[in-house]
Amino acid sequence: MKAQTRLETLSALSGPSGSEDSVRAFLIEQLKPLCDEVRTDAMGNLVALRCGTAPKRYKLLLDAHMDEVGFIVTGIENGFLRFAPLGGIDARVLPATRVRVLTGEPLFGVIDTMPPHALKAEDMEQAVPMDDLVIDIGMTQEEAEANVPLGAVAVYDTRLIRLQNGRLAGKCFDDRACVEIILQTLEAVQNDASDVDIYCMFSTQEELGMRGASAGVYGIEPDMALVLDVTHAKTPDAQSIDLMDLSGGPAIGVGPNMTRRISDALIQIAKEENIPYQLEVMSGSSGTNAWPIQIARGGVATGMLSLPLRYMHTPGEVIDLVDVDATVRLATAFVRKLGEVWA
Amino acid sequence: MIETLLALCALPGVSGWEDAVRDYLMEQALPYADKIETDPMGNLMVFRSGKKHDKTLMLCAHMDEVGVIITGITAEGYLKFDFVGGIDRRVVIGKSVFIGDDTIPGIIGIKAHHLSRGDKNVPAVHEMSIDIGAKTREEAETMIALGDVGTFEPTCTRMGGLLCAKAIDDRLGCAVLLKLLEHQPPCDTWFVFTVQEEVGTRGASTAVYHICPDAALVVEGTTASDLPGVPGHKTICKMGAGAVLPFMDRGTLYDRGLRQMLISLAERHSIPWQTKQMIAGGTDASVIQRSLSGIPVVGIAAPLRNIHSPASTGCVTDFTAVCRLTELFMEEYAQEK
Repeated sequence: MKAQTRLETLSALSGPSGSEDSVRAFLIEQLKPLCDEVRTDAMGNLVALRCGTAPKRYKLLLDAHMDEVGFIVTGIENGFLRFAPLGGIDARVLPATRVRVLTGEPLFGVIDTMPPHALKAEDMEQAVPMDDLVIDIGMTQEEAEANVPLGAVAVYDTRLIRLQNGRLAGKCFDDRACVEIILQTLEAVQNDASDVDIYCMFSTQEELGMRGASAGVYGIEPDMALVLDVTHAKTPDAQSIDLMDLSGGPAIGVGPNMTRRISDALIQIAKEENIPYQLEVMSGSSGTNAWPIQIARGGVATGMLSLPLRYMHTPGEVIDLVDVDATVRLATAFVRKLGEVWA
Repeated sequence: MIETLLALCALPGVSGWEDAVRDYLMEQALPYADKIETDPMGNLMVFRSGKKHDKTLMLCAHMDEVGVIITGITAEGYLKFDFVGGIDRRVVIGKSVFIGDDTIPGIIGIKAHHLSRGDKNVPAVHEMSIDIGAKTREEAETMIALGDVGTFEPTCTRMGGLLCAKAIDDRLGCAVLLKLLEHQPPCDTWFVFTVQEEVGTRGASTAVYHICPDAALVVEGTTASDLPGVPGHKTICKMGAGAVLPFMDRGTLYDRGLRQMLISLAERHSIPWQTKQMIAGGTDASVIQRSLSGIPVVGIAAPLRNIHSPASTGCVTDFTAVCRLTELFMEEYAQEK
């Protein structure tokens, strides 16, 4: 499958935290020809091993999470679904947002909004609290009860849109774009006689507090890890200097959550390979799977590569394919040079 | 009719830029029309000679929809915009828009919730931007001009018995009129598709001047807010409960005689109907009634949730009720002495 089509498919798949099944099923098919071993652990993490051939080999973990932010149905009222968020969602993006409820046959729905006629002016200045919102699926109470069990989950129903300059807008590039980056990296090193065993972990429940990865990494017991996730790019309403530039290349994480030697290696390799990069300085937790992975078992030398992304966790996240390509190149070069720079 | 409605909803037609909708309607109307006229405002007026000729009925639906208009381009290539027509700004955040003749796609973004630290304030329109992926003003200017207009996502979805799309207000009315045009009307009838309803019922005013009808029926979409937690008096009307026959809105007191005719027809033919329980909104009727030396007006509407948003929804059974009742009205009006 062509990379861009595959990214489109990955973005279209529904995989809110804890219900990553369709993403996992798709990835298993993609990984089979690329890997020696594919397994799923108790938390639902998908772990794929691509063995190196050298006699002495490092165990390198590449991690990207499969899950996306979404919603979970907590009640049914007059046929409308009450819901809670799965992951961090700004209630301000929800009125008139289309969603897909993941029942046997996916149901399409809309998050309804009260019309201005029925509101006071000051009500319209503020976000409607999430527990006052409902998903409308066009059903009566009886129909909804028969079709939607409490605990059913939902995701944004957004089409991928091609913007200018190879930029894309769509849902859940956090973190499917990085899933795609790992797939492309695996493809790039396919014929290498490698001195690393590459463990790819497509982890679950990151959006609920990195729950999948902490169990997954224990089962893998890697020597080092490269975590691939997205990071905030500047937007018109967020221009702080510590935010990344879209199209500026992958962000190499620097700070206590990232093992200094790995960060240095990534910087050195980016320079050698002429790959554009940015530095993302994080004073504490990266807020990603790097946080639990770094302290798994006796400790894992951990690095972070982040893809710049605008409007995170909204129905219209924006990324640049230039950054995707640069991240693939840097991850690939890192895999190839790891033995050399680490020795 | 539903297929026609879906095709119509997908077309762009922001007030003042109704061209695509007009072209489509003109093509569809051509086989049935005795006369097709447009006027300087852009209204499309289709005449079909009736079985009787003693009076002329005007059926009216508006072609235009609410949208955005580009007012500026920043140095970084983002577009600044304003709304055309009444849009509650809470519904556009995180949504896509499609701008200009080349339907350049863009996103009305908001910074990640991680960065907004629990801010609950809805940004003002002038604080919002459209991201089309351009990197500079110069680049954006190669594809976008100030004054270009944009519409919401054109995708239509079926949700149970509901349809979800942009612009059901008032492509539903257009679809109903097209459907009824297929048969010879009981009396001489102008099927009028107006422009610029959403910016103050501008088009209807000149259309009436051209056709001088004896009475007018406006087929519209109207706001429903029958959501959980909304007190009865604020629900306005209910989806699935049939055609809405308003007695009054903010622009019109509808003709009592004609409205009673509609109610009797609905009762006699077991067509579900309701009325609006709030004096809200307005339609082309407001200007039609005051045109020439005054014209009796009446309205039939379908309840719509999330009207004027990227995802308005309406109920197919209500649409059917609106269409059938309009058809019955044409018959009854023609027979009335």
